[in-house]
Amino acid sequence: MTRAAILADLMVDETGAVFSPGAAERAVELLVELSPDLRGAAILDADGAALAATGAPARWAEDGAALLAVADGAGEEPVEQVHIATEQGEVFALRHDGLIALAVADRFALTSVLFFDMRSVLRDLAAGGEAA
Amino acid sequence: MTPPKPHRVLLDRVSGYADEAAAYVRRRRVSRRPFARLYYGGGRAADFAADGRAGGELFVAAGRLIEVAREPVDR
Repeated sequence: MTRAAILADLMVDETGAVFSPGAAERAVELLVELSPDLRGAAILDADGAALAATGAPARWAEDGAALLAVADGAGEEPVEQVHIATEQGEVFALRHDGLIALAVADRFALTSVLFFDMRSVLRDLAAGGEAA
Repeated sequence: MTPPKPHRVLLDRVSGYADEAAAYVRRRRVSRRPFARLYYGGGRAADFAADGRAGGELFVAAGRLIEVAREPVDR
Protein backbone atom coordinates (compact mmCIF):
# COMPACT_ATOMS: atom_id res chain seq x y z
CA MET A 1 0.00 0.00 0.00
CA THR A 2 1.29 3.47 -0.82
CA ARG A 3 1.83 6.11 1.83
CA ALA A 4 -1.03 8.19 0.38
CA ALA A 5 -3.38 5.23 0.54
CA ILE A 6 -2.37 4.56 4.12
CA LEU A 7 -3.01 8.19 5.06
CA ALA A 8 -6.38 8.10 3.31
CA ASP A 9 -7.37 5.21 5.55
CA LEU A 10 -6.50 7.14 8.69
CA MET A 11 -8.58 9.67 10.58
CA VAL A 12 -7.39 12.79 12.36
CA ASP A 13 -9.29 14.12 15.34
CA GLU A 14 -9.25 17.70 16.61
CA THR A 15 -6.21 17.10 18.79
CA GLY A 16 -4.26 16.07 15.73
CA ALA A 17 -4.10 12.46 16.81
CA VAL A 18 -4.23 9.96 13.98
CA PHE A 19 -5.91 6.61 14.24
CA SER A 20 -7.50 4.09 11.95
CA PRO A 21 -11.29 3.57 11.89
CA GLY A 22 -10.64 -0.01 12.93
CA ALA A 23 -8.97 1.23 16.11
CA ALA A 24 -12.23 2.83 17.29
CA GLU A 25 -14.11 -0.41 16.62
CA ARG A 26 -11.53 -2.37 18.56
CA ALA A 27 -11.81 0.16 21.40
CA VAL A 28 -15.57 -0.42 21.61
CA GLU A 29 -15.03 -4.18 21.52
CA LEU A 30 -12.52 -3.85 24.33
CA LEU A 31 -14.94 -1.82 26.44
CA VAL A 32 -17.62 -4.48 25.99
CA GLU A 33 -15.14 -7.19 26.87
CA LEU A 34 -13.89 -5.40 29.98
CA SER A 35 -17.29 -4.65 31.43
CA PRO A 36 -19.73 -7.55 31.80
CA ASP A 37 -22.46 -5.10 32.89
CA LEU A 38 -22.23 -3.16 29.64
CA ARG A 39 -25.24 -3.27 27.30
CA GLY A 40 -23.78 -1.09 24.59
CA ALA A 41 -21.18 1.55 23.87
CA ALA A 42 -20.07 4.01 21.24
CA ILE A 43 -17.20 6.33 20.51
CA LEU A 44 -17.86 9.68 18.86
CA ASP A 45 -15.47 12.26 17.52
CA ALA A 46 -15.51 15.85 18.77
CA ASP A 47 -18.13 16.77 16.15
CA GLY A 48 -20.46 14.06 17.41
CA ALA A 49 -20.01 11.64 14.50
CA ALA A 50 -19.96 7.98 15.51
CA LEU A 51 -16.58 6.34 14.94
CA ALA A 52 -17.76 2.98 16.28
CA ALA A 53 -20.78 1.63 18.12
CA THR A 54 -22.29 -1.64 19.25
CA GLY A 55 -25.60 -0.86 17.55
CA ALA A 56 -26.90 1.72 15.09
CA PRO A 57 -24.11 4.33 14.89
CA ALA A 58 -26.41 7.11 13.67
CA ARG A 59 -28.74 6.70 16.63
CA TRP A 60 -25.86 6.57 19.10
CA ALA A 61 -24.50 9.78 17.54
CA GLU A 62 -27.85 11.56 17.57
CA ASP A 63 -28.94 10.57 21.06
CA GLY A 64 -25.42 10.92 22.49
CA ALA A 65 -25.14 14.45 21.12
CA ALA A 66 -28.58 15.26 22.54
CA LEU A 67 -27.55 14.01 25.98
CA LEU A 68 -24.35 16.05 25.97
CA ALA A 69 -26.21 19.15 24.75
CA VAL A 70 -28.68 18.85 27.63
CA ALA A 71 -25.83 18.21 30.08
CA ASP A 72 -23.87 21.23 28.84
CA GLY A 73 -26.96 23.39 29.12
CA ALA A 74 -27.63 22.28 32.69
CA GLY A 75 -24.52 24.00 34.06
CA GLU A 76 -22.32 26.94 33.28
CA GLU A 77 -19.52 25.02 31.58
CA PRO A 78 -19.19 21.95 29.34
CA VAL A 79 -19.37 18.68 31.21
CA GLU A 80 -16.50 16.23 31.35
CA GLN A 81 -18.45 13.21 32.58
CA VAL A 82 -22.13 12.33 32.78
CA HIS A 83 -23.59 9.58 34.95
CA ILE A 84 -27.33 9.05 35.01
CA ALA A 85 -28.80 6.12 36.91
CA THR A 86 -32.39 5.19 36.10
CA GLU A 87 -34.57 2.22 36.98
CA GLN A 88 -33.97 0.86 33.46
CA GLY A 89 -30.19 1.14 33.41
CA GLU A 90 -27.27 3.50 33.77
CA VAL A 91 -25.85 5.89 31.20
CA PHE A 92 -22.26 7.09 31.12
CA ALA A 93 -20.65 9.71 28.89
CA LEU A 94 -17.07 10.89 28.96
CA ARG A 95 -15.20 13.55 27.01
CA HIS A 96 -11.48 13.01 26.82
CA ASP A 97 -8.74 14.11 24.42
CA GLY A 98 -11.24 15.41 21.87
CA LEU A 99 -13.22 12.17 21.77
CA ILE A 100 -16.45 11.08 23.40
CA ALA A 101 -17.25 7.68 24.86
CA LEU A 102 -20.85 6.65 25.59
CA ALA A 103 -21.90 3.57 27.50
CA VAL A 104 -25.11 2.05 28.78
CA ALA A 105 -24.87 -0.52 31.56
CA ASP A 106 -27.10 -2.53 33.85
CA ARG A 107 -28.12 -0.94 37.14
CA PHE A 108 -25.47 -0.85 39.87
CA ALA A 109 -22.55 -1.05 37.45
CA LEU A 110 -19.22 -0.16 39.01
CA THR A 111 -19.05 3.52 38.12
CA SER A 112 -15.42 4.29 38.78
CA VAL A 113 -14.21 1.16 37.00
CA LEU A 114 -16.34 1.89 33.95
CA PHE A 115 -15.17 5.50 33.75
CA PHE A 116 -11.58 4.30 34.15
CA ASP A 117 -11.99 1.86 31.23
CA MET A 118 -13.66 4.50 29.06
CA ARG A 119 -10.91 7.01 29.79
CA SER A 120 -8.24 4.42 29.06
CA VAL A 121 -9.58 3.50 25.63
CA LEU A 122 -10.05 7.16 24.67
CA ARG A 123 -6.54 8.02 25.80
CA ASP A 124 -5.10 5.16 23.76
CA LEU A 125 -7.15 6.14 20.73
CA ALA A 126 -6.19 9.79 20.96
CA ALA A 127 -2.55 8.82 21.30
CA GLY A 128 -2.87 7.19 17.94
CA GLY A 129 -2.45 3.68 19.21
CA GLU A 130 -4.67 0.71 19.63
CA ALA A 131 -6.76 0.41 22.76
CA ALA A 132 -4.79 -2.01 24.89
CA MET B 1 -9.23 -25.50 76.03
CA THR B 2 -7.01 -25.44 72.97
CA PRO B 3 -6.81 -22.28 70.90
CA PRO B 4 -8.36 -22.38 67.39
CA LYS B 5 -6.08 -23.35 64.57
CA PRO B 6 -4.60 -20.32 62.81
CA HIS B 7 -6.23 -21.15 59.45
CA ARG B 8 -9.64 -21.26 61.20
CA VAL B 9 -9.12 -17.72 62.49
CA LEU B 10 -8.22 -16.55 59.02
CA LEU B 11 -11.26 -18.23 57.45
CA ASP B 12 -13.59 -16.69 60.03
CA ARG B 13 -12.14 -13.27 59.39
CA VAL B 14 -12.52 -13.55 55.59
CA SER B 15 -16.08 -14.84 56.01
CA GLY B 16 -16.83 -11.87 58.23
CA TYR B 17 -15.58 -9.42 55.63
CA ALA B 18 -17.58 -11.18 52.89
CA ASP B 19 -20.74 -11.00 55.01
CA GLU B 20 -20.19 -7.29 55.60
CA ALA B 21 -19.66 -6.68 51.89
CA ALA B 22 -22.78 -8.63 50.93
CA ALA B 23 -24.85 -6.66 53.43
CA TYR B 24 -23.46 -3.40 52.07
CA VAL B 25 -24.38 -4.36 48.48
CA ARG B 26 -27.90 -5.37 49.61
CA ARG B 27 -28.41 -2.05 51.40
CA ARG B 28 -27.08 -0.17 48.39
CA ARG B 29 -29.49 -1.89 46.00
CA VAL B 30 -32.46 -1.15 48.22
CA SER B 31 -31.61 2.44 49.07
CA ARG B 32 -30.23 3.69 45.77
CA ARG B 33 -32.57 5.98 43.87
CA PRO B 34 -32.27 7.25 40.29
CA PHE B 35 -29.95 10.24 39.98
CA ALA B 36 -28.27 12.44 37.39
CA ARG B 37 -24.74 13.58 38.19
CA LEU B 38 -22.55 15.76 36.01
CA TYR B 39 -18.80 16.13 36.48
CA TYR B 40 -16.79 19.14 35.39
CA GLY B 41 -13.12 19.93 35.02
CA GLY B 42 -11.28 20.19 38.31
CA GLY B 43 -13.33 17.41 39.86
CA ARG B 44 -16.45 19.48 40.55
CA ALA B 45 -19.73 17.57 40.38
CA ALA B 46 -23.38 18.58 40.42
CA ASP B 47 -26.51 16.52 41.06
CA PHE B 48 -29.81 17.21 39.33
CA ALA B 49 -33.14 16.09 40.76
CA ALA B 50 -35.42 14.16 38.44
CA ASP B 51 -38.30 16.56 39.16
CA GLY B 52 -36.28 19.64 38.14
CA ARG B 53 -36.27 21.00 34.58
CA ALA B 54 -32.64 20.12 33.77
CA GLY B 55 -32.86 16.83 35.63
CA GLY B 56 -36.00 15.84 33.76
CA GLU B 57 -34.36 16.57 30.42
CA LEU B 58 -31.29 14.56 31.42
CA PHE B 59 -33.43 11.55 32.31
CA VAL B 60 -35.33 11.77 29.01
CA ALA B 61 -32.07 11.95 27.04
CA ALA B 62 -30.61 9.05 29.02
CA GLY B 63 -33.76 7.01 28.38
CA ARG B 64 -33.24 7.40 24.64
CA LEU B 65 -29.69 6.07 24.89
CA ILE B 66 -30.91 3.12 26.96
CA GLU B 67 -33.34 2.36 24.13
CA VAL B 68 -30.50 2.53 21.58
CA ALA B 69 -28.48 0.07 23.63
CA ARG B 70 -31.24 -2.53 23.59
CA GLU B 71 -29.72 -4.08 20.49
CA PRO B 72 -27.84 -7.19 21.60
CA VAL B 73 -24.07 -6.96 21.89
CA ASP B 74 -21.81 -9.67 20.51
CA ARG B 75 -19.41 -10.84 23.24
